[in-house]
Amino acid sequence: MIEFRNVSKAYTSGLEAVHNANFTIEKGEFAFLVGSSGSGKSTIIKLILKEEEPTSGNIIINGKDTTFLKPSRIPYLRRSMGIVFQDFRLLPDKTVYENVAFAMHVVRATPKHIRRQVPMVLSQVGLKDKANVYPNELSGGEQQRVALARAIVNNPSMLIADEPTGNLDPNTAWGIMELLNDINLRGTTVVVATHAKDIVDKMNKRVIRIDQGNIIRDEKGGYDGEI
Amino acid sequence: MKYNSFGYLIGEGFRSVAKQKKMTSASIIIMCATMFIFGVFYLIGENINFIMKQVESQQGMRVIISDDATEDEISNMETEIRSIDGVNQITFYSQEDALASIKERLGGNLEILEEYESDNPFPDSYFVTLTDLTLNTQVQEQIMQIKGVEEITARDDTMSSLATVANGIQMATIALLIILVVISIFIISYTIKLTVYARRREISIMKYVGATNGFIRGPFIVEGIIIGVVSALITLAIVGLAYNSAINGILSSSVIQIINMTLYSFKDIFLRLLIVYLVLGTGIGIVGSIISMRKYLKV
Repeated sequence: MIEFRNVSKAYTSGLEAVHNANFTIEKGEFAFLVGSSGSGKSTIIKLILKEEEPTSGNIIINGKDTTFLKPSRIPYLRRSMGIVFQDFRLLPDKTVYENVAFAMHVVRATPKHIRRQVPMVLSQVGLKDKANVYPNELSGGEQQRVALARAIVNNPSMLIADEPTGNLDPNTAWGIMELLNDINLRGTTVVVATHAKDIVDKMNKRVIRIDQGNIIRDEKGGYDGEI
Repeated sequence: MKYNSFGYLIGEGFRSVAKQKKMTSASIIIMCATMFIFGVFYLIGENINFIMKQVESQQGMRVIISDDATEDEISNMETEIRSIDGVNQITFYSQEDALASIKERLGGNLEILEEYESDNPFPDSYFVTLTDLTLNTQVQEQIMQIKGVEEITARDDTMSSLATVANGIQMATIALLIILVVISIFIISYTIKLTVYARRREISIMKYVGATNGFIRGPFIVEGIIIGVVSALITLAIVGLAYNSAINGILSSSVIQIINMTLYSFKDIFLRLLIVYLVLGTGIGIVGSIISMRKYLKV
């Protein structure tokens, strides 16, 4: 599903954010990408999204090497991924419903399909009653749920989350994690970049740990090793 | 699941225009001003061309046929002259016609002309008018090579100076058009840049959920087109009113009546101006919005 082969990324400033990364995340897997801030996990996310190009090595997504993907094909690559950020990135002047429907407009879904799909996804994330509310009237956790709904509304084969709980208190954060787990159980591959040790320990999933651009550990368990 | 999202894009474009009322109206006003200036020059240019055409049809050259040309050569000459590029009309004047016209000009039976009746000194000739005065020299050269042509008389200096004036005005209009188009593109792209900036968050989200660049550009291009078309229509109305009152003033003045020329009425020129304005407006709108978007599409 997601495969890194000898991937290195150096920024023009000379900083090598990722050094010779090798890993494969299989279809249906749940994987954490952990490390302190500046460790290179955000760069790995950007490489998966093809927001950044690797300096060397190959990145294979859904069986296709994206290294030589034409820029005009990038949107289609991204349609196979749902993306969630730390800062939610909702549109403040659109309602919850519109924020989710927006992602469907973008991929040119039919109005009929949108009317059916959006309420379904909103109830999946537990926001059925908040469809007509604006994001600033929601709590942080609820906003992140909207972002999650938007990420999965087009049925992507994988969900990429960059610090999804970074702005949330522990209880709310756990709710989001359970939702991610739930999405994973429905068959979606989930990759979560985080430095929230307690959550990673509690989930007991595969952990890819990065330190100063190097993958130093890749196994099932907690943040620091087997539990 | 492919769905024609045309309606969605157009709706978004109109929404953006409505949201950015101040900037949109500012750029419409500035666009109108530049288009108005262009329109004035365009109309002056068109009318001068129109007058030129009228003058051209009156200007011409006289091709004097040599006395020993045969009947065949004279009729061949007509076909050959007709086939030259730039020749508009050709009329044959016989010796008798020439005499008759002189008589008329001198006011009838002057004694001086009496002896000409028996021994006509005037040659046969063709009067040739041109479609384009700039071709004057070329056409003359070609006619001189035809067998049986004695000489050509023409008011070369008048013709060439008229041609120079016409060319100059045409060049000035084109230069002005280019300058104004560049200014307009700059203005419109600046306006749209502000909308794009206001919506940069939305654009980045669109990129992440897999919107193509074409889809993202759509509403902004619609916005550009709206600004362009609205400006074009407003300017057309203003130019129409201004032109009509100007034309009425000019046509009733004595000068234009003496030289016996007419000018275009706004009705004659309306359709052409409408097309020019709409093409300009939409073109400027599209180019302006594409320019303003470039930076933000690189995510």
